[in-house]
Amino acid sequence: MIFLFITSGLFLGWTLGANDAANVFGSAVGSRMVSFVRAAVIASVCVILGAVLQGAGASDTLGRLGSVNAMGGAFTVALAAGLTVYFMTRAGLPVSTTQAIVGAIIGWNFFTDNAVDTRALTQIVTTWITGPVLGALFAYGLYHIVKITRRRIKVHLLKYESYLRTGLLIAGAFGAYSLGANNIANVMGVFVPSIPLEDARFGFFTLTGAQQLFFLGAVAMAAGILTFSKKVMQTVGSNLLELSSEAAFVVVLSQALVLFIFSSTALSGIMMKIGLPPIPLVPVSSTQVVVGAVLGIGLYKGIRNINLKLLGNIASGWITTPVAAGLLSFFLLFFVKNLFGIDIGHTVKGASPPVEGPGTAVIVRYSIIILLVAVSAYLGYLVLAEKRRTEKMNKKYY
Amino acid sequence: MSLFTRTTRELSVRIDEFFDTIDIGILIFKEGVKAYVKGDHDAFQNHLNRIDELEGRADKLQRSIENDMIVHSILPQQRSEVVKLLWQLDEIIDTAKKSLNEFYVEMPHIPASLVNDFISLAEVSGNAAEELLPAARAFFREPHLIREKLIKVYFFERETDKAAFQMKKKVFHEMDDLSLAEKAHIRYITHHIENISDSAQAAADLLASMAIRQML
Repeated sequence: MIFLFITSGLFLGWTLGANDAANVFGSAVGSRMVSFVRAAVIASVCVILGAVLQGAGASDTLGRLGSVNAMGGAFTVALAAGLTVYFMTRAGLPVSTTQAIVGAIIGWNFFTDNAVDTRALTQIVTTWITGPVLGALFAYGLYHIVKITRRRIKVHLLKYESYLRTGLLIAGAFGAYSLGANNIANVMGVFVPSIPLEDARFGFFTLTGAQQLFFLGAVAMAAGILTFSKKVMQTVGSNLLELSSEAAFVVVLSQALVLFIFSSTALSGIMMKIGLPPIPLVPVSSTQVVVGAVLGIGLYKGIRNINLKLLGNIASGWITTPVAAGLLSFFLLFFVKNLFGIDIGHTVKGASPPVEGPGTAVIVRYSIIILLVAVSAYLGYLVLAEKRRTEKMNKKYY
Repeated sequence: MSLFTRTTRELSVRIDEFFDTIDIGILIFKEGVKAYVKGDHDAFQNHLNRIDELEGRADKLQRSIENDMIVHSILPQQRSEVVKLLWQLDEIIDTAKKSLNEFYVEMPHIPASLVNDFISLAEVSGNAAEELLPAARAFFREPHLIREKLIKVYFFERETDKAAFQMKKKVFHEMDDLSLAEKAHIRYITHHIENISDSAQAAADLLASMAIRQML
């Protein structure tokens, strides 16, 4: 029975694996720097590892937004998110699984008359904005470092290309691990409260109930990668993002870092240990982080290279996807409950659970500090570059 | 992975070897023209044999580099440009060989008053091609230096045009003792020597665009 209910989650995992693995290995496979088989095997293994070892953090935050307390409800919520992603993709609209599942959970909250934890919601939404911004900042900085290193080391192009190839594999593996860790919450997060599984002991290690669900979800993601991501990877690599191999490496690494930051409990713990506020562990859209990273590279190459339409697409996705998923979830829950008589969950009496982790103010403060540092660094760089250019011109002509 | 590294190392050695072959070919061409116009036929024959051998080696290297790049999927994004560059460089040694062959087959009569003009024409035309090679090598190691290295190629190409123009003018305006057929023949041979710097310029244009793409 449990397997029947989690099929919608597995379907969501399969679509996520088929689509989002392209964000990790798409540019490498599309440019034929890495073979599809090698990319798919590495991505599948790392997605499973990331989901099982580090998937709990982001899943807890989704649980705070709405603790779906019946299997039928969890099934419907995941189905609504999956269908939203499917239809919006077919319609050519910008869509993200992360935003779809949040909208679907809010739909469940409305249907079951549960209060929406606005603090958790604001935390999640703020992170959606911070994710692409951080992606752009990382990409800008890393691209600058890569370019300077290339100029300094004077290595032969063929050797450099082989280093990049290895780098792409390592960054891709890290990216797939982070994707599993961060996005497994979208796939299996809603099932965790309603399917309490016993811990499974395998001699030297134990898998908790949540980890077992994450493992199943991650296997579905891996199946998506192995069966359906080849075409998506080739399309991403050759059509949408025509990146040089070093830009592709930077984009993948930036995406991996952002996803890792928003899913690492250890990193959040370190921040707290040194007296800083913890990092919010929230699922972020890997596609939007990749777009942010590509824009960061565009920013590095000059302001004219920035495609403002991409920014508009991201921003519209922040609103349209959750609204569509929320409405679909609400109506599906109505039919599932009234037509099939399946328990879709109940109202939790009393106040919503206390929210742990940083509030919105902390995230906004972080974002503002990061933005200020980045803008100051960029302005400083522009002033220095202009000064150097003027000196060079003076030297040339006088 | 180790197989890939070995292939990369071997390929970079072969690319360097290809550049060396072109470089020596240009030197041989300059020496060959010098030997012919000075009437040293033995030396000319030696240079002709040597350039023939070098041209064959360059062709072989070019084909093997192209083949390995495709088979091992090396430089997938720049491959077509690199292949085109190798083809353009091979064109230079081909033109040099053809030029010396023209001397051998047609045995043009070079008046004593044109000996120095021919030597300096071959020198500047060869220089344009010679200056191209550091730029081509820079593409693989220091792409940001390509543009400044190409300046000399364009300079020598312009100098070649000027030298060829002056020589043709001299032949047709001042050397009345030559028949029209002899004048036309000298103009034809001059044109062949000029072709080397033209090929160098075509390769330089390609390298310049490759440099821009590398720097983006």
